[in-house]
Amino acid sequence: MSCDKPCEQHNGRRTFCRTCIGAMTAASAAMVGYPVASFVASQPSRIGENKPLEVPIDQLVQGQARYETYRGLQVIILTTPDGPLVFSASCPHLGCAVNWVSTESLFRCPCHGAVFNPDGSIVSGPVNEPLKPIPFEVKDGKIIISV
Amino acid sequence: MRIVKAIYGWFDRRYNITPLIEKNVTKKRVPKTLGWAACFGGLSLLIFMVQVFTGVLLLMYYKPDPVNAWDSVTFIKSNVSMGWLVQRIHTVSANLMIVMVLMHMARIAYYKVYRTPRELHWVSGVVLLMLTLILAFTGYLLPWTQLSYWGAKVGTEIPGAIPVIGHDIVRWVRRGEAISGETLGFFFALHIWIIPATISAFMAMHFAMIRRTGISRPL
Repeated sequence: MSCDKPCEQHNGRRTFCRTCIGAMTAASAAMVGYPVASFVASQPSRIGENKPLEVPIDQLVQGQARYETYRGLQVIILTTPDGPLVFSASCPHLGCAVNWVSTESLFRCPCHGAVFNPDGSIVSGPVNEPLKPIPFEVKDGKIIISV
Repeated sequence: MRIVKAIYGWFDRRYNITPLIEKNVTKKRVPKTLGWAACFGGLSLLIFMVQVFTGVLLLMYYKPDPVNAWDSVTFIKSNVSMGWLVQRIHTVSANLMIVMVLMHMARIAYYKVYRTPRELHWVSGVVLLMLTLILAFTGYLLPWTQLSYWGAKVGTEIPGAIPVIGHDIVRWVRRGEAISGETLGFFFALHIWIIPATISAFMAMHFAMIRRTGISRPL
């Protein structure tokens, strides 16, 4: 673009207008972008995350496993003759949720066939680690998980 | 700014976009006598796009079954960040879209734009009105509130007045005798995919026809 003198003056005004339009466009984009980004980034599982999980012991059945969700993770509360045990339901192999098979008194992973004892130790399958135990305390007749 | 220009230039040198944009947008000539009332068609499209966008956002949290539907909408409105805004834009725009479509039709009818060679513009426009209304009606059931439940009940009762086949139509629309989870699933499918896809196809035809005949020139 070639410019002679009067045109240059004009150019300053044009730059000013361009800058203003650019700033307004950016402000509008931010007004849309921020709500959308924060909407998409909301994580439903985080809500109520800090509440401890409480399960009354008298609701548990001997020899049965109860599945609960704590901080977005599935946990198993297993009632054995020696008292309750709590494990992460996630198989240490690739993370599928293991099933409690009460007729055999074993945990079986539906994905690749790993088998665990009621205490979480490995029986067989493609795993190197036992089921991850979750620390808990018993208070006022309730199992409380708050780690 | 310079980066944007460089990227645009890269594409423009290869695909020669500028003449396309000039012909269809920046240097497109429209009849001088067109007034503000000629905006309503475009505004309907704009609102439709807003609806698609906010609708996709709502889909991230909405759960289309009778047990969770109401809870998930409440969750969007009160727990998801900016969820109240997105949900409100979606409901308000649904009403606005109908208003815009009706204003658009009122102008077309008043200026008699529907006359030859534009009859099919009008016909496709009426189809678009119907689809817009169905879109609004099916969306109304999704939050699974008392209002939406009874709204859907009354609305789906209407075809029952048709002799002989009326009751079968009611049963087909409701996916059973009463409004149930089946109805919700069916309305959900209609609302998020079937009707929007159909509406898009009819819009494409509508716009293609307008391009072909040109905008009507008021006297």
